[in-house]
Amino acid sequence: MSKLGCKTRNLVMGCALALATGGSAMAADLGATDEPIKLAINEWTGQHVTTHITGMILEKMGYSVEYVTAGNYPQHTAVADGTIHATMEVWLNNAGEIYPKMIESGKEVEIGPLGLDTGEGWMYPKHVAELCPGLPDWEALKDCAEAFATPETFPNGRILSYPADWGNRSEQMIKGLDIPFTAVPAGSEGALVAELKAAAAAKKPLVMMFWAPHWVLAEVDIDWVKLPAYDPACETDPSWGVNPNEVMDCGLAPPDTVKVAWSGFKDKWPAAYAFMEKFQMSSTEQQKMMLAIDQKGEKLEDVVGAWVDANEATWKPWMDAAVN
Amino acid sequence: MRIAPTLRPWIAFGLFAALCYALRDQAGWIVKYPTPWVIPLEAWLNVAMDWFVAHFQTIFRGISWAMEWPMTGIQATLHWLPWPVTIAIFTAIAHRAGGWKLAAFTLGSLLYMLITGYWFESMNTLALVGVSVPLSVAIGFGLGILSFRSNWAWRIVDPMLDLMQTVPAFAYLIPILLLFGFGPVVGLIASAIYAAPPMVRNTMLGLQRVPSDIRESGLMSGCTPRQSFWWVEVPTALPQILVGVNQTTMAALSMVIIAAIIGGFGDIGWEVLSTMRKAQFGQSLLAGIVIAIMAMIMDRVTRGLTDRERNLAESHTDSSFQRHRHLIVGGGAAVAFLVLAHVVAPLKSYPESWIVHNAVADWLNHGIDWFVANYSAVTDGLKNSANFFVLLPLRIGLLKAVYPKFWGFAMTPEIAAAYWIGMVALAAWCFWRGRQVLGIIIAIAAPTLFWGLEGMPWPVFIGLVGLVAYLAGGLLTTVFVVASFGFMLVNGLWAETMRSVYLCGAAVLLCFLIGGALGVWAAGNDRVSAAMRPINDTLQTMPQFVILIPVLMFFAVGEFSALLAVIIYAIVPPIRYVEHGLRNVRPDVVEAAKQIGCTDRQILFDVKLPLALPVIMLGLNQTIMYGLAMLVIAALVGTKGLGQAVYLALGKANAGMGLVAGLSIALVAMSADRILQAWSRRKRKALGL
Repeated sequence: MSKLGCKTRNLVMGCALALATGGSAMAADLGATDEPIKLAINEWTGQHVTTHITGMILEKMGYSVEYVTAGNYPQHTAVADGTIHATMEVWLNNAGEIYPKMIESGKEVEIGPLGLDTGEGWMYPKHVAELCPGLPDWEALKDCAEAFATPETFPNGRILSYPADWGNRSEQMIKGLDIPFTAVPAGSEGALVAELKAAAAAKKPLVMMFWAPHWVLAEVDIDWVKLPAYDPACETDPSWGVNPNEVMDCGLAPPDTVKVAWSGFKDKWPAAYAFMEKFQMSSTEQQKMMLAIDQKGEKLEDVVGAWVDANEATWKPWMDAAVN
Repeated sequence: MRIAPTLRPWIAFGLFAALCYALRDQAGWIVKYPTPWVIPLEAWLNVAMDWFVAHFQTIFRGISWAMEWPMTGIQATLHWLPWPVTIAIFTAIAHRAGGWKLAAFTLGSLLYMLITGYWFESMNTLALVGVSVPLSVAIGFGLGILSFRSNWAWRIVDPMLDLMQTVPAFAYLIPILLLFGFGPVVGLIASAIYAAPPMVRNTMLGLQRVPSDIRESGLMSGCTPRQSFWWVEVPTALPQILVGVNQTTMAALSMVIIAAIIGGFGDIGWEVLSTMRKAQFGQSLLAGIVIAIMAMIMDRVTRGLTDRERNLAESHTDSSFQRHRHLIVGGGAAVAFLVLAHVVAPLKSYPESWIVHNAVADWLNHGIDWFVANYSAVTDGLKNSANFFVLLPLRIGLLKAVYPKFWGFAMTPEIAAAYWIGMVALAAWCFWRGRQVLGIIIAIAAPTLFWGLEGMPWPVFIGLVGLVAYLAGGLLTTVFVVASFGFMLVNGLWAETMRSVYLCGAAVLLCFLIGGALGVWAAGNDRVSAAMRPINDTLQTMPQFVILIPVLMFFAVGEFSALLAVIIYAIVPPIRYVEHGLRNVRPDVVEAAKQIGCTDRQILFDVKLPLALPVIMLGLNQTIMYGLAMLVIAALVGTKGLGQAVYLALGKANAGMGLVAGLSIALVAMSADRILQAWSRRKRKALGL
């Protein structure tokens, strides 16, 4: 499975290339153009941008496209039974356990990496550097736990971590790096964003787990905590890294983002599938569009339409390779 | 010294509890239930679920397919109708149900949806409700008749209804998603499950209350049993049945947000959830208001139509024009607009440039930011003192919570000894003065506060609720309550349950103190009462997600935020029930108290409140229900406990785990309900009410 194979960034590139060359060989037929291709719309703007660009190009290829709103977890049930045909931006760091289950059942297939240049780790609003001298180096955290302490974590410092249903990486890293902190699960993405905004507005101390690209990073100035670089050995071998007794004494690998489709997609719309295999999204471009939509209040369709018009050189080859 | 008989069970319990506390260190299992003793119910449920899904999925997918038709039909119609036509129709209905005032409110509300740009989403939500309400009403009506006719059916239906109302929908989302497939239909099913019970109960109640002479006169005039039922009994029971329709409508609307969590439908709930995810308070408030006003309109309209039904039964004097003038005027306006809309474009679809949305939302967002930037010292102070002096002692106990940094002293053995001596003296003083209840409360509170709820041995907690259940309701209640908490214990959810009990307990206590005071105030002052009503309505009908964002911005992720979120939602029942109870104390009793020279204060505390106690206790019951219902939502601001367990199950797609956690929440709710209902009944009897 490519989810396991594409763990590091170099391998992601390798996989993308492998899939790209594999894809062009077998596509030509448009397939069932009379039936609309249903694409999932999740709750975040970046995903809307990715999906609508895909949809617009598919329309240019002669397909009709429908957009269906779908929750992050429930969408996998829908893609598995063909109610929705594809979802274009799945983040493997918060896909839950339902996603690997569906892939394993064979009803959902991974089309390949989306190509977003992602990052994940602990970060803090810029003003926090004054409260804990030595940041962004992670070792500074050892000595300023008290600055981040709250009643619930005292005497430890508090690190706001992902909702419990996304896993407990912060907790493992705190243990691995042996710093006097306690991970407090946020409960939801909204809670993470709300706290970041509030901490920035009130100049309050905050260290939290987060990922990029994310629209809120355009609004709040942040810095990432510099952690020991990720290495696969760090996850399994206690002797690796700064702490000889624990695993997870390192930062995180950049999370993979993938495109996922219903298992019957390839047979029904071969050319669309071939195009989607090629399709890649650049983080900088996506971030620009997110900013225009969320901050400047421009309409999604206009922003995405303008990008498609201006970047034919980027997507035309993907389309041509799929059709011809 | 002779011991009063009422005290004997408490003394026995006290000795048992003291033994448990004494053994805490030697026998660890007494505080922390050992994992190897946990039964794998979760896994069994998953196996059963997989088998069931594999064999019956086709049937459920068929139901799902059949229900999609009416919904897409209504949806297409509502989108096709030009907006002035829709507005004219709804305003006419509102006028018929509640006169000019309601018509004006409806008109204003619909214009609000238009101006804020939520028309499209609102119509989708309306389509959803348009199917889910008739569905819930039909199911509820059917079950109601069945339970009325057959005693054994009622025995099965009754506990089912309790479960339907108390198991949070998130807990069975995975199973219904697998059975019915992805889409808004899942939301329909969830809302039918949650909204049908009031319809069942009211249908039954209405039919039971049909006077026997009416039934007999039907039979004497030669009705067959079928005719007698449909032409005599059901019409007589109609007012009560319509009360059920009203409650079911409200419940169904409160569940539309579930449909949004699944997706498949760009409805207003989706807007609320997406904006919540972005922590945009302004936008989510604007969207949440749509649901709140929709609920208020439906409430007033169904209630108005119910009243009309009652009045119509009494008088038939209206001329046919008067009776139908709403239809004639409304229909006329609708047709006129329909024609006009084809000529005047803005009437067909509301122009986007007329939408006022982002400006208002941004203004609200800036307001929140400004408050956070300027008053964070105040909010932090509030949060920290609540944590240090109330929440932490309650959870982990004074022994661990007392830190020199915050309390000014450490928990030295001398201070601990002083604490115990003080508490024992206080309890003894209470018993000596004959205040037994207070004495017992202090005796229980002393060790609980010292070691915290987390440090309380589980046999003590189960023994305590069992004893309370026995004194309130007798043996059957005890068996139910003990078995319920036993269920959580053997399923390995004890720690989560205690977390939830602690959070809800603290919230309910505060709700009752604050809400009770507000209720007393409202009972004595009509103006306050009138001012509080719309606030209460809004708090109850607004999707709870909306309030989470400002709470989070002010108080950050943590228990205090969760507590506040629960309080904001659960404070309404104490306000309402306390006011209702006080206002309905028999006036002659109050008059008599005045005559013998009681002061206002004495009348309130010694006459009115004791007499209103049974009603107030039902309010307490409702508060607990609301608090537990909010647990799952509160998990979104990061609490541990049963609510979080439900979310974890959702992320893992683990149906069994979700059901077990959901059932635990339901059992806590039902236990509290059984105890309080029994207590309220006894008290009522004792007061001769």
